[in-house]
Amino acid sequence: MKSKNHVNKSIIQLLFSCFAIALLSGQALAETGHGEEAEHGEEGHIELTQEQIQHSGITLVTATSGTIRDVLPVYGVVATNAERVQSVTARFDGVIREVKKSVGDPVRKGETLVTVEANESLKTYSIVSALNGVITQRNANPGEQTTDTPLLVVQDFSTVWVELSIFPKDVAQVELGQQVRVLSLDSTQITEGKIIYIAPLGQAGNQAITARALIDNPNGIWKPGLFVNAQITRAEIAAPVVIRNEALQIVEDNPVVFVRGEEGFEPRTVTLGRTDGELSEVVVGLSADEVYVSKNSFILKSEMGKEDAEHGH
Amino acid sequence: MIDKLIQFSIARRWLVMFLVLVIGALGVWNYQHLPIDAVPDITNVQVQINTEAPGYSPLEVEQRITYLVELAITGLPYVESTRSLSRYALSQVTVVFEKGTDIYFARNLINERLQQAKSEMPSGIEPVMGPVATGLGEIFHYAVHAKPGALQENGEPYDATALRTLQDWVIRPQLRLVPGVTEVNTIGGFEKQFHITPEPARLLAYQLSFDNLVAALEKNNANIGAGYIEKNGEQYLIRAPGQVADIPAIEKIIVARRDGLPITVADVAEVGFGKELRTGAATLDGEETVLGTAVMLLGGNSRTVSQAVSAKLVEVNKTLPEGVIAEPVYDRTVLVDKTIATVQANLAEGAILVVVVLLVMLGNVRAALLTAMVIPLSMLMLMTGMVQTKVSANLMSLGALDFGLIVDGAVIIVENCILRLAGRQHHLGRTLKLDERFQTVFAATREVFTPSLISVLVVILVNLPILALTGVEGKMFTPMAMAVIMALLSALVLSLTFVPAAVALFMTGHIEEKDNFIVRHSKRFYAPVLAWALKFRVLVLSAALIFVVLVGALATRMGTEFIPNLDEGDIAIQALRIPGTSLTQSLDMQFQLEKAVLEIPEVKTYFSRVGTAEVASDPMGPNISDGYVMLKDHSEWPDPDKTKAQLLEEIGEKLSLLPGNAFEISQPIQLRFNELISGVRSDLGIKVFGDDLTQLLKSGGEIAAVLNGIEGAEGVKVEQVSGLPILSINADRSALYRYGLNVADVQDVVAAATGGEEAGLIFEGDQRFSIVVRVAERVRGDLRALERLPIPLPDGGYVPLREVASLTLAPGPNQISRENGKRRLVVSANVRGRDLGGFVAEVQGKVAQQVKLPPGYWLEYGGTFEQLQSATQRLSLLVPVTLVMIFALLMMTFGSAKDAALVFSGVPLALTGGVIALWLRDIPLSITAGVGFITLCGVSVLTGVMMVSAFRDELNRGESVEQAILGGAMLRLRPILMVALVAALGFLPMALNTSTGAEVQRPLATVVIGGIISSTLLTLLVLPGLYRLAWRRPKAIDNNGEPIAE
Repeated sequence: MKSKNHVNKSIIQLLFSCFAIALLSGQALAETGHGEEAEHGEEGHIELTQEQIQHSGITLVTATSGTIRDVLPVYGVVATNAERVQSVTARFDGVIREVKKSVGDPVRKGETLVTVEANESLKTYSIVSALNGVITQRNANPGEQTTDTPLLVVQDFSTVWVELSIFPKDVAQVELGQQVRVLSLDSTQITEGKIIYIAPLGQAGNQAITARALIDNPNGIWKPGLFVNAQITRAEIAAPVVIRNEALQIVEDNPVVFVRGEEGFEPRTVTLGRTDGELSEVVVGLSADEVYVSKNSFILKSEMGKEDAEHGH
Repeated sequence: MIDKLIQFSIARRWLVMFLVLVIGALGVWNYQHLPIDAVPDITNVQVQINTEAPGYSPLEVEQRITYLVELAITGLPYVESTRSLSRYALSQVTVVFEKGTDIYFARNLINERLQQAKSEMPSGIEPVMGPVATGLGEIFHYAVHAKPGALQENGEPYDATALRTLQDWVIRPQLRLVPGVTEVNTIGGFEKQFHITPEPARLLAYQLSFDNLVAALEKNNANIGAGYIEKNGEQYLIRAPGQVADIPAIEKIIVARRDGLPITVADVAEVGFGKELRTGAATLDGEETVLGTAVMLLGGNSRTVSQAVSAKLVEVNKTLPEGVIAEPVYDRTVLVDKTIATVQANLAEGAILVVVVLLVMLGNVRAALLTAMVIPLSMLMLMTGMVQTKVSANLMSLGALDFGLIVDGAVIIVENCILRLAGRQHHLGRTLKLDERFQTVFAATREVFTPSLISVLVVILVNLPILALTGVEGKMFTPMAMAVIMALLSALVLSLTFVPAAVALFMTGHIEEKDNFIVRHSKRFYAPVLAWALKFRVLVLSAALIFVVLVGALATRMGTEFIPNLDEGDIAIQALRIPGTSLTQSLDMQFQLEKAVLEIPEVKTYFSRVGTAEVASDPMGPNISDGYVMLKDHSEWPDPDKTKAQLLEEIGEKLSLLPGNAFEISQPIQLRFNELISGVRSDLGIKVFGDDLTQLLKSGGEIAAVLNGIEGAEGVKVEQVSGLPILSINADRSALYRYGLNVADVQDVVAAATGGEEAGLIFEGDQRFSIVVRVAERVRGDLRALERLPIPLPDGGYVPLREVASLTLAPGPNQISRENGKRRLVVSANVRGRDLGGFVAEVQGKVAQQVKLPPGYWLEYGGTFEQLQSATQRLSLLVPVTLVMIFALLMMTFGSAKDAALVFSGVPLALTGGVIALWLRDIPLSITAGVGFITLCGVSVLTGVMMVSAFRDELNRGESVEQAILGGAMLRLRPILMVALVAALGFLPMALNTSTGAEVQRPLATVVIGGIISSTLLTLLVLPGLYRLAWRRPKAIDNNGEPIAE
C-alpha cells in the first residue's frame, strides 16, 4: 500500500508547506516591528568618537571660576529729582517789574530771574536762582501783582530719580545702596545709579513698593515721565565654578551637565547656585578644570534617550 | 454541455472568431482604465479626521476636541475600530471601516456627525477629513527653491517665507486642478504673516493692553458694503473700503488717545513680516526648503496622475518669478515605469520563448501561432476582469502569471488535434473533408480536454486559501490569486472555444505529423530509461521517497521571509530624536545628517520632512523626520559593481557618526504603508485602557516587568507617552483675588504674548495673510522675561506675571493615544525562541496574577499573534478542505481512488525540485515562493492526469499493464515535455531578470522552474513504476472515467 503512504505523505507535505507559509508571514510581520537598538558602553556613559564630536558640532569647554551678576529686572518711571527744584516766590509782595527768563530757558545758580518792586518799601529787589537748571513754569509777567503762587519753577535735571516698582516677591531682595542699571525702552541708552530710598508705604492698587534710584542725567536724555527698564544688581558673586547656561539640560527633573570622562561623556546631575543670563554657578557636582559640553549639549541628551524614541500612532 | 460548446464553436467558427475579436477589443479598452501601480495597495478603508488647534497642549486637545470627535463617530455603521492621537496643536482621529465599505459613503456619514460635534468645540476649531487617498497616494514630491542670486521684487533674496508664499498661492492652486489629484500638501517655509510685536513696557506706558491693540486692529481693517442708492434712474452701489494693505498702513492705525494725542500702532509696537509658529519644516540637501506633495485620489492610476502633475509642473514653472524653480524630487512614474517594464519584459520574453517552444515541438507554424494567440487573448480578458473586480495591475497581481501555464491547456488540445488530424489523413490517404475535419477536431479536443480542465481546477483550488487571507497579507496576495484564477479561466474558455474553432478553420490542407529532431531523440532516449525504471521500480520509488524526506528536512532549515521586498530604488531614512526636541534643533540635526549622507557619491538628493505637514496625514512630532534619499541611476555610480546592500551599509556608517539620532531605514512606499496601517506591529501588544495617564503608565510599567521575567520575551517596550517639556503657568487664585483679576486676564496675556493672537487678515488679491499680535522673539524665548510680563490691572497699573502665577517646567504627556473611545497605553514585546501561543498564554496567566488594575481599567491582548492565530486557523481548515477537493476532483475524473492517489503522489516530488532550486540560488522561503509551489501543484497534477489517463486508455484497449504503461508513456512524452518546457521557459526571464521589481518575482519563477524539472522526471520515470505497482494484476476498469464532462 505504498500509494496510500504516498497520499498521506503528500497531504502532510502540503499541509506543512501551507503552515510554513502561515508561520513565515507571522515571523516576517514580527520582524518589521523591531526598531534599531542603539548600543552604549557602560550604563549612563555616552561614547563618542572624535569624528562624531566633529560632525555633531559639539563644543567642549573647561569649567572655570567666574563672576555672576545676579540681577532683578523691574520696570520704572523717570521722575524729577524732588530735591533739585526751586519754586521762585517773592519774599516781599509787590509788582513784578521784570521777568528775565521764559519757560525752557537754562539758568545758572545766582542768575537774576525776576525783579519785584516791594509794596511796602517800594524798593526793587531781584530774585536769583539757587540752582543750575531750566525754567519749567512761569506764572509771572511784568506789571502783575505777586501772589502766593510761585512766580517761576526752576528744575535741575542733571540728576533724576527712577521710581522702580518692586513687587512683593522681590521686596526682600532690594536694599539701599544697590546698583541699578537703567535702560531706555529701546535699550539704546544705558546708565547706572544707586538705590537711595525704599518707600515705607506700599501702593494699594498694585501691591507694589516704590524704590528710588538716583541717576545722573548730564545730557538730559532721561526725561521725567518716561517709562524705562531697570535691573537691580543684587550681587556680583565670584563663584569658584561657573558653567555656560547652554550646557544645562534637564534630565528627569534634574539639571544635568555632560562631563567628559575617560570613557566618553557622563551625564552629571549638578546643584546650581546663582545664575544670570549667561552663566550659572555650580555648587555641587562639577569641579573647576573639568571639561564639559557647552554648545549642542542637547545632542547628547537625545543620544541618551534615543532608544526610546519612536513614532507611534 | 461542454460537448455542445465545442461543437458550436466548430460549427460557428466565424462567429467565435468575431466574438474573440470583440472581447479582445474590450480588453484593450479596459486596459486604458486599469489602475497601474508598482505594488498592491494595502491600506484599509479609513478616514482621518484632523483638527488643528494652534496652541493647544495634548491634554487640552484630547479634552476639547478628540473626545468630541470620537463621541460623534461612536455608533456609526460599518465602523471596525477608531483610534486617535492628541498631540500639540493637533487631534487626529482615524476611523477604520469594514472591508468593502464605500469610502465616500463613509465620509458622508462622518461629515454629518462632525457638523454636530463642531458646535461644541471651541470657536475657530474646524475638524477636517483627510484627503481621499491611500498609502500609495503620495506620488509626487517637488521642492521649491531659488537659484543663487535670485532676488525678490523688493531686492531681497528669496527666503523660506517668500518661497512658501509662492507655493501656497501660485503653485498649489494650479496643481490641485490636475485630474486625479485630491490634495497638494505643503511642508516647510513659513506662512507669511504680518506681525505686530508690542513692547510690554510701552504698552504699560500708555496704559494699554494686548486686547486694546487687537481690538484696534480689528476695527480698522474691514470693507463694508452699504447697499445702493438710486439717482436719476441709475443705481449706485456703495462700498466703504477700510482694509489696510501694507505695513505703513498698519503702523498708522490709532490705538488710543492720550492727552489729546493719538497713539498709533507704531508707537507701541514694531510691525513687520514674521514667522508663524510652525509644526513642520522641510529640508533639501542640507538646507531649508519648501516641499510640495501631490496626493492621488483613491483608485487613480498613479502613473498617469503623476505624469500629469509632472507636465503641469513644467507649465507652473513658467509662471514663477525668475530665479525660482519648483523641481520634482520624487516621481512615482519612475518606479512604476521601471516595475511595469520589468513585468512586461518578463511576460514578453516568456511569451516569445513559449512560441519558440511550440514551433519547435509542434513543427507546425500555424498551430504554434494559433496556440500562442491564447496568450494575448487571455491577457486581454484578464484586463477586463481586473477592471471589473477592481484589482490593480502591479508587480504582485501580474507577477505570478505564467504564460506557460496559461497555454498548457491549449497546447495539449492543439497537439492532440494535430496528432489526430494527421493520423486520420494518413489513414485515409487524402486530405480531409470539412465535416471529417470538424469531427476529428471535436474528438481530439474532447479526448484531452479533461486533463487541462483538471489542471486549471487544481490551480484554482490551491489558490483558494490565499483568497481567504485577511489583513495586510490578504491585500497583498488576493489580487495575485485573483489574477491567476481569472487568467486561467480565460485560457480555459478560450481553449474550449477559440482553439477548436481556429484549428478547424486554419488547419487545412495536408498536415504532416512527424516528430521533430528533439522529440525523436527524446523518445529514443526515453524508451530504454523507462524500461529500466519499470524494471527497478521498487528501487526508483524508494530513492524518490528518501529524496522527498531529505528535501523536506532541507526545507525546514531554509531561511524565511514574508515577502521579498520590492526594491523601490530609493531609500527612506526616518530619523528619531527624543520627544521634546525643538523643530529648530531637529532641523539642525537633520542638516548635519543630510550633509553627511550627501558625501556618498551615489546619492543624488536627500530631502526630508520634519514634523507635521499642513495636511496632517502623518502626524509626526518635530523630533521625527522622514527623509528620502534619491539615488543616482545605477549607470552613474562611480563603482558600478557596488550593490545596494553595500550602499545601505555605507549610509549606515555615515549615520552612525551623528549622535542623538535613532534611525529606521526603509523605502518611501514601505514607510508610508507602515505609518498608515500601523496598529501594533509587535508579536504581542498588551493594551491597557483607562483614564488616568499616570496610572496607565504605572500599570504599563508593571506589565513590562512581568513580561521581562518571562522566557522568550524580547524588546519589551512601554509606549512613549510622556517626555514633552511643558511650562505650566498656573494662576495663583488668592493673588488674583488681591488684584481683582480673572484667570482669563492672565491666560489671555500669556496666550497673546507667546502664542500670538490673530487680529484679522491682509488681502493681496487672492492671497490672504494673517495679522498676528505677538511679543517679540527675544522676550518669548526668555523665561525670566516671560515671568515679568505685565498684566494690566482693572484700575490701572500693572502687576508682573510671576506675582499672580507660578511658572513650572515639567515633562508632560507627549501624546495621548486612544482607541475605541478610551485612553490606552501599549506594552509591546516580541518573542524569540519559543512558540507564540504558549508565550501568550503564559503572559496572560502571569499578568492576571501579578498585575492588579484599579476599577475602570482593563487589558486587551493584541498584536500580530492575533493575525497569526486567525490565519493559522483559517489555513488549517482550508488547506485540508482544498486537498480533499482536489482528491475528489481526481476521483471524479478517474472513478478510482487508486488512480487519483497516484496522480496526487506526484505533488510532493514536484515540490522537491522547487525547494532545491531555491536552495541552490540561496533564496529564502517566502509567500511568493509559496505561490510558486501552488503553481507547481497544478502542473504536476496536469502531467499526472495526462499520463494516467493514457495508461487507462491503453488498458481499456486490452493491452497488458506493462504494454499499456510503455505505450501510454511514449504517446504522452511529447505533450508532457511541451507542457513542462513552456511552463519552465515562460518563467525563465522572470527568474533571471535583475531590474526593478524582479526580486519579488524571482523566488516564484525559481520554484516553478526547479519544480517542473523534478515533476517531469517524476511523471516520466516514477509514475509508470508506481502505476505498475498499483495495478499488479490487470483488471477491467469501469469506463465511466470522465463524469465531469457530462
